[in-house]
Amino acid sequence: MSPVVLVRQLTKWYGPRRAVADVSFAVEPGEIIGLLGPNGSGKSTIFRILTGYLAPSSGTVEVAGFDVVRDAFAVRREVGYVPEDAPLYEHMRVVEFLRFMAQIKGLRGRAIGRAVDAAAARLDLDRVMNLTAGKLSRGFRQRVSIAQALLTEPKVLILDEPTSGLDPHQVIAVRDLIRSLAGHQSVLLASHVLSEIEKIASRVMILLDGMLLTADARATTSTDVRLRARISGSESDVRTSLAAIPGVREVSVEQVAAAERHYLIDAEPGDRVRGEITRTLVAKGLELTELVEVRADLEQRFLDLTRRRSGKAAA
Amino acid sequence: MTAFSVLLLKEEKALFSSPIAYAVMTVFLLLMSYSFTLTLFLSHQPSLVHIFFQMFVLFMLTVPLITMRLLAEERKLRTIEVLLTSPVTELDIVLAKFVASMSLIVILLMLSGSYAVVLAIYGDPDWGPIYSGYLGLLLLGAALVGVGLLASALTANQMIAALVSLSLFLLLWIIDSFGYLLPSPFDALAVNLSLSVHFKPFAVGSVYLSDVGFFLSVTLLTLFLSVRALARR
Repeated sequence: MSPVVLVRQLTKWYGPRRAVADVSFAVEPGEIIGLLGPNGSGKSTIFRILTGYLAPSSGTVEVAGFDVVRDAFAVRREVGYVPEDAPLYEHMRVVEFLRFMAQIKGLRGRAIGRAVDAAAARLDLDRVMNLTAGKLSRGFRQRVSIAQALLTEPKVLILDEPTSGLDPHQVIAVRDLIRSLAGHQSVLLASHVLSEIEKIASRVMILLDGMLLTADARATTSTDVRLRARISGSESDVRTSLAAIPGVREVSVEQVAAAERHYLIDAEPGDRVRGEITRTLVAKGLELTELVEVRADLEQRFLDLTRRRSGKAAA
Repeated sequence: MTAFSVLLLKEEKALFSSPIAYAVMTVFLLLMSYSFTLTLFLSHQPSLVHIFFQMFVLFMLTVPLITMRLLAEERKLRTIEVLLTSPVTELDIVLAKFVASMSLIVILLMLSGSYAVVLAIYGDPDWGPIYSGYLGLLLLGAALVGVGLLASALTANQMIAALVSLSLFLLLWIIDSFGYLLPSPFDALAVNLSLSVHFKPFAVGSVYLSDVGFFLSVTLLTLFLSVRALARR
């Protein structure tokens, strides 16, 4: 099956500032992709290019088989887009806004009412349909914005920070809604909240400073293991002792308690290094109270990748 | 319903649900009625020439109020992102905003038509200058709305959009006065850019193709540039 979104060597410059740098990825039909990155990492710019709102400086982007520059109009028909901060017409009632959006998306006659009712029911908007957007809470604004994107069941749904401003119940509801779309529609979802992306996305891409660090963070395997150690004694002694052990690659302080520090140790896998760490610390008279392997979750991968990238930049 | 008609309906609702349209209509009618009555009682002439010149000035002062929000507000609220990621063209958006604003201009002209009716009831006006005056005001209104729309397309700040268009209108109103101070060919250029030079013949009953062409050219050029400004992202 051909990818529904195909991005090749995408670069975007805003004047002298490069917002997106040589990004390439593909999205298969029915996938839910999470785009993770700190604020200003280029997530929204990529989404605006995918929707045809911005033109790329170089590279090619195809959505549902249409080029976003040459066939921007066709792309807009295939994409449902929820911009960041849910921009709405303040003077319009919710029902008016949804009907207006249904009409400009090409729905006519009874299909308008049916689509609006279905989207309102899906997002639980019945209570606010006759309120103007200016009177809505942030959570409802977000839900109205998501509802307009779902009116025509587009092939690709692009959501920029869709749960920002929602309360925990609403976050769960939106999360369930997005999950329910899996298999029918391809969803691209941007967030800087790790836990949110982890729970929804079937694949996670990580962006930093406009560069795509990985197109599948969960599949990015590192041969090293990460150990958490609680050690009493001076930090310089601990670092010197650990650095001398073959197989220990990096040592960092995670937390400082009263008499002891929690260290994170990146090391070769296997029991040999662990045994060596224990023996070395004991021989140096340093007290080791805990040595456990840390599960390689998305947060760790994100921190690893971004730290590695920052390290390269500094070098 | 085409995308254009959907957008036009939305613009008409936005325009006529805001107090600006009614404030403009009220101020326009109050000033024009005062002026019409005074002129009529003083001159005893069944003519609207003075009224047309006053409407010319009043259009320059009020059109920025009508056009300032058109695209600047969409940019500020970022609803332009919602529109331009939907299957509508930049031309649809610009034309819908232009036609909606022109509908207010047409309403103002129709309301002022009551003065012509009064003249017809109590006198025997020469209808030629009245028809040409209204044609001139319609063309002037289109050109002013075009310039105002372009100013609004270039900024997200409504006040700046209003100030830019107002400054341009005032400059183009009086630019012919400076024309005589400039060397050739700039003197001719300055005179030919003047709104008042092109409007005067309409108000007194003469319709020249060059004047019609001037206002139509300004309107089409500013609409084209507004579409380009919207497409440049």
